[in-house]
Amino acid sequence: MQERLHEIVRKLLAEGAIEYFIGYGQGFEPHDVAPCFVAQEDEVEKLVWGPLCAHNLSKYALRAKELDGKVGLLVKGCDARAIVELVKQHQIERDEIVVVGVPCQGQVDLRKLEEVLGLPLEVVKGVEDVGDDFLVTVGEEKRKVPKEQVLRDKCFYCKHPNSFEYDFTLGDVMPFSIDADKGEFALVEELEQLSLEERRAFWQKQFARCIRCNACREVCYACYCKECIFDSLAPRWIEKPPLLGENEIYHLIRALHLAGRCIDCGECERVCPMNIPLGLLFKKVQKDIAELFDYEAGMDLDQVPPLIDFKLDDQDPFM
Amino acid sequence: MERKKIRKSDLGLWLDRIAEEYELIGPTEEEGVIGFEPVDTSAALKLDYTNSLIPPKSLFFPPAESLFSFRKRGREIELEETKPMERDRVVFGIRNCDVSSLSLLDAVFGEDLEDAYYLERRARTALIALACPTPPRSSCFCTTFDIDPLSPEGSDILLTDVGDVYLVDVTTERGEGLVALSGDLFSPLSADEAQELQPPPVQMRKLDVSELRERIEALWEDEYWEKLSLPCLGCGICTYVCPTCHCFDMVDVGSTSDGARYRCWDSCMYSDFALMASGENPRATKAERVRNRYFHKFSTFPSRYGTGYACVGCARCLVHCPAGTEITQVIEDILAKEEVSE
Repeated sequence: MQERLHEIVRKLLAEGAIEYFIGYGQGFEPHDVAPCFVAQEDEVEKLVWGPLCAHNLSKYALRAKELDGKVGLLVKGCDARAIVELVKQHQIERDEIVVVGVPCQGQVDLRKLEEVLGLPLEVVKGVEDVGDDFLVTVGEEKRKVPKEQVLRDKCFYCKHPNSFEYDFTLGDVMPFSIDADKGEFALVEELEQLSLEERRAFWQKQFARCIRCNACREVCYACYCKECIFDSLAPRWIEKPPLLGENEIYHLIRALHLAGRCIDCGECERVCPMNIPLGLLFKKVQKDIAELFDYEAGMDLDQVPPLIDFKLDDQDPFM
Repeated sequence: MERKKIRKSDLGLWLDRIAEEYELIGPTEEEGVIGFEPVDTSAALKLDYTNSLIPPKSLFFPPAESLFSFRKRGREIELEETKPMERDRVVFGIRNCDVSSLSLLDAVFGEDLEDAYYLERRARTALIALACPTPPRSSCFCTTFDIDPLSPEGSDILLTDVGDVYLVDVTTERGEGLVALSGDLFSPLSADEAQELQPPPVQMRKLDVSELRERIEALWEDEYWEKLSLPCLGCGICTYVCPTCHCFDMVDVGSTSDGARYRCWDSCMYSDFALMASGENPRATKAERVRNRYFHKFSTFPSRYGTGYACVGCARCLVHCPAGTEITQVIEDILAKEEVSE
């Protein structure tokens, strides 16, 4: 699949169809993968693909705005929902970017892998996808790790193992046969069982750690506002010091601003250096939107987002 | 002072004794994140760690601190100063990269204008450093900046793990006082032990940075910064996990009649960091902001304070950057640049 990727990107660059291509490249450690920008044909070999390519590169589609030419992007099925939304939200024109779709059989959650191995991640020399397991190279040894132990949460209920919004595709895969054993919203439902006070205590404990590095905002495909509410000086909606109350408001504002737009890519949680379970917060927002409006963001270019829609026969039960 | 030893099984007894007299701060783990936090007992410490995510600079220069509070009463304004700390503190488990970073921050907060809050915390905090585990993390590169992970320099006491015991090097009077709290737990080394009990040498990558400042200063106009900044998301992780980054903002929290003046961390990677009231932004592009960060580390800081580079090789930025920017690669790229390309 990697060869096919190199072939397509080489062709795109040779034809001048794109200014540069954004895929995945090797990071500092063998287990690290990092966004990789390729502008020259002789750099194409740097691009890699595998089960450590968790990043949602769709955020970089916004870069197309700054360029005369087009940007090429490697996009997993799940990440393509961000492309759909960016087009729907009029942030990019679909023809400003070239999407190379890549089929995916699940991505590794590095925090889970570290826990399962009981070893620091730097001993991991590589991870291969072998169907229902990952083959993890630890030092000289290869260990089989069942996918259900280390998959990212969202991969358990994957809706798009294959690309669905693309210009080129690297092929199709068979979905893996793992029984998630729980529904998509199981973790949220567990939390919903708690009392209001318990939930507040749970989230305060999480938000108290927040250092307000803004990584969750900056990595989010949907955070493209020219002036973010958090940066506004007049009026000043939120204070800069990372005090608990301000942190709570920060994350709750983000959650509400993403309602109906969050595509469950999980990037906010993945990049959070303080391990705040932001995915869980956004899962709650997705659940509410699903229940109230029967809507899932990023699934269909023609579906109107509920929060910008207006219906005369809306019952407004809360009014 | 002569080198001593303490049995590993006795370390907790000593630290608990210290906790009776001082506020004890050391490495703890919460939700998988290692940080330096105050503890009531040594049992709450995590000894099996390489280093904290947030560097211990936060103990001297906190992410958010109230400097004073104010209240308006009619036409009178009441001001109340916030005390930086109550009890004297002992920080256990700091690594030498972070010890070195404090001497750089001392230049920032101690020269010209003396920062009373920082300096009081520094003066009233003893450091018990813990020599780095062998081998260190593969990302570590402190020796690049002539930092010795096994040196007692800069701390009050250095402990070195050599199996069943820690070697104890006490370098200050304050350190001697801490050892004296549980003097019976420490014993001198026999002649044989002094020979045998040696930590293994630390092997880590070391870059030759002798020409780094000249090289980077020649690259101000280079297109490299544009390329380097392409994947950068513009978050503040690299600056907040950096033990030498020290930029801050001052804001009044509350209302005009009742509130507090806070100092909090700021990041030069934020687009509004240099934004002026007029709307002018001298570092309007990401490339300019990324360039600024490396220039500050390798040119501006050493030239302003007459110190070495403002990097201690802890590699936190490298490990935690969500865009995969590697400071060691940046250094190598700068050194490898033959001439400026525009």
